[in-house]
Amino acid sequence: MKVKIKSWRGVAVWKWIANDDNCGICRNGFDGCCPDCKMPGDECPLVWGQCSHCFHIHCIMKWLNSQNVHQLCPMCRQEWKFKE
Amino acid sequence: MIKLFSLKNQKKDGEQGSIRAGNPKRASAAQLRITKDINELTLPKTCNIDFADPDDLLNFKLIISPDEGFYKGGKFVFSFKVSSNYPHEPPKVKCETMVYHPNIDLEGNVCLNILREDWKPVLTINSIVYGLQYLFLEPNPEDPLNKEAAEVLQNNRRLFEQNVRKAMLGGVVGNTYFERCLK
Repeated sequence: MKVKIKSWRGVAVWKWIANDDNCGICRNGFDGCCPDCKMPGDECPLVWGQCSHCFHIHCIMKWLNSQNVHQLCPMCRQEWKFKE
Repeated sequence: MIKLFSLKNQKKDGEQGSIRAGNPKRASAAQLRITKDINELTLPKTCNIDFADPDDLLNFKLIISPDEGFYKGGKFVFSFKVSSNYPHEPPKVKCETMVYHPNIDLEGNVCLNILREDWKPVLTINSIVYGLQYLFLEPNPEDPLNKEAAEVLQNNRRLFEQNVRKAMLGGVVGNTYFERCLK
């Protein structure tokens, strides 16, 4: 039997690969966005620290900017450094 | 003297009024986050939470009734005020019950590390509840807010225990009158 494909439609799903389901700061899902954004995805990305903890970029930046002496990971209190 | 007092009170009333007026209700990030905190709250059996206005999750009271330790049988009310910057700022917590305690002063200010320098935004209301409960089980004489109580705790635990009882029954300890707060 021969099948001739006349047309096709691609469907894709995307998902962040993180070691947790929720952002520890805003408690929203990583599949959702931070409370200041409307759409999940590239506009509200995740970032990882070298300590391996992960947050919405907007959540962790707000926290780091409010700390004037040491910038520590809110999870483990190690110095926060962005993972390359 | 009396005149001065009434002036001071008037000023206080005025301040409170303006805070209320400038606080319109909006579904803010703080409200979303506190809703999650409250939904996931697992209170120990010694604690109760009370919302004066069920639509306002940002202001509530926590009632702790320790079932062991120095403060067993007492009932202590804490007020929580969650700011619009929560969880980037800790809630403002005050003890509304006058208590003889090394880490709580007579104005109700509470010395708990996670309410100040050690606050971080991954902590929740639950973390604070457990922190406060711990203060009643293990009062900490180092870094005190009530220095007299701390000194007594450090030098004479027996006397400290008696003072706590006396204060909870309603009585004078040092130069201070404590209202009865036994259940």
